[in-house]
Amino acid sequence: MPLRPRPKIIDNITVLEFLNAGRDSLKMSVVAGERGMKNIVRDKSINRPALALTGYYKSFATKRVQVFGAGEIAYLRDTKEDKQYKVLTEIAQRHIPCMIVTRGLQPTQPMIEAANENDIPLIRTTLSTRDFLAASTLLLENMFAPRVSEHGTLMDVKGIGVLIRGDSGVGKSECALALVERGYSLVADDKVNIKLINEKDLVGTSNEINRGYMECRGLGIINIAELFGIRSVRTDKNINLVITFTAWKETDEEERTGLESDNFEILGIQVPHIRFSVKPGRDLARLVEVASMVQALKLIGHDSAKEFNERLINQMKTEEPGALI
Amino acid sequence: MSTTDSTSQGSQISVELIVKNRMGIHARPAAMIVRIANRFPAELYVEKDDEQVNGKSIMGLMMLAAGQGSKLRFTTLGEGGQDMLKEMEKLFERKFDEP
Repeated sequence: MPLRPRPKIIDNITVLEFLNAGRDSLKMSVVAGERGMKNIVRDKSINRPALALTGYYKSFATKRVQVFGAGEIAYLRDTKEDKQYKVLTEIAQRHIPCMIVTRGLQPTQPMIEAANENDIPLIRTTLSTRDFLAASTLLLENMFAPRVSEHGTLMDVKGIGVLIRGDSGVGKSECALALVERGYSLVADDKVNIKLINEKDLVGTSNEINRGYMECRGLGIINIAELFGIRSVRTDKNINLVITFTAWKETDEEERTGLESDNFEILGIQVPHIRFSVKPGRDLARLVEVASMVQALKLIGHDSAKEFNERLINQMKTEEPGALI
Repeated sequence: MSTTDSTSQGSQISVELIVKNRMGIHARPAAMIVRIANRFPAELYVEKDDEQVNGKSIMGLMMLAAGQGSKLRFTTLGEGGQDMLKEMEKLFERKFDEP
C-alpha cells in the first residue's frame, strides 16, 4: 500500500489571513487595532454581538468574527459613551478575533478606543450586512475546509470529475492526454489538492505552479492550455468518481457485471471507485470516458447493470416453469 | 541521520536532505532524483513543510518549489530503500553537479 498523505484539519486562521483572502470580495479596510492582526479566528461561523452589547454574555460566541450591522451601531449610538466603552472593553477582553462594521458605517469613538487598547482589529466594509454575511460565510467555509492531497490526475469528463490514481509510470498522464485530445479538460496532474466543502463536496484543484502543465514520459513537460486551447484546462472540479489503474496481473479479478459497487474514501467521504488493470492494447481513455458516462447516468437515477439484471429476472419469471426455450 | 520504522509493512526509512545548489530543485535536478528513484522498486515520498509528493514524479518534485536551503524529507517504503537513499544523499552532496 502506498503511503497516503495525511489529511490536514484547519482549526484556526489569523485575522490577517482572513483579511488578505477577502480583501477584494469582502471590501474590508482596517480602522483601528492593527496590532491584533495575529488574533485567531477559531470558528467558521459569524456572530452578531447584539446581546453581548447589552451586557449578557451567556453563550457569547467569542471564537467568531463579530459583525456590527445597522442594529448594533444604532444601539451603540444611543448608549452613553462611558457605558459603551465599558461593555466594548468587556467584549474585547473575552478574546474575540476582530470586529467588523458593515455598510461603511462610522464606528463610534469608544469602539475605536476599545479596539486599540485591547489589540482587536476594527474593520470596516462597504458591503451590506446581508452581503457580507453571505460572502464571508463562503470564504470561511473554504478557509476552514479539511484538506488532503492525492497522487493522481483529475479530469473533467463531460461534467463528471474523475480522479485517476495509480503507481507512477502506469499511464495516468498518457490517459489524461488522450482524454484532453477528445475534448475533455484537465484539472490537475500528478498532485491533486482536495478540500472538503460543506462536509459533502470534494473539490480538487492543482497547485498554482503547474496549472495547465503536464509531464508525460517521452515528451517531457508540456503546456496543455497552449497546445489544446484554454477550454482544455479548468481550475477546480468536484470529484465524482475515482479510477485506479493497476499493472495487469494474471490473478486480477476485475468487476464484470457492474452490480457490485466499490468506494474510495477521501476525507471521510465515500466516492464510487472503479479499478482497471492496464494491459497492452487496452484503450484506457475510452474506458475512463465510458465509466464517467455510466456514473453520470447513475447520478440521474439509471443503473445499466441493475436494469439489465432486472429485465433478465423478469423474463425468467414470466416463462412457465419447465417450458422449453 | 536516518530513522527506520519497521512496524509498518515493509520497512519505512526516512532521511532529511538539504538543497544546496543555487537554483534549487528545478527540472534538471528533479529528473536526476526521479532517475535514481526509478532504479529501485521501493516507493519514494518527498515532503517539504506540510506538502508531500511522489518522489518518482518530476512534476511532483518541482511542485515543491524547493529553493536553496530547503529541507526535504525523503521517505522510502519497500525493497531497496536504503540503497536509494544512499544514492540520494550523494546526489544532494554533489549539488546535482551544479554551482
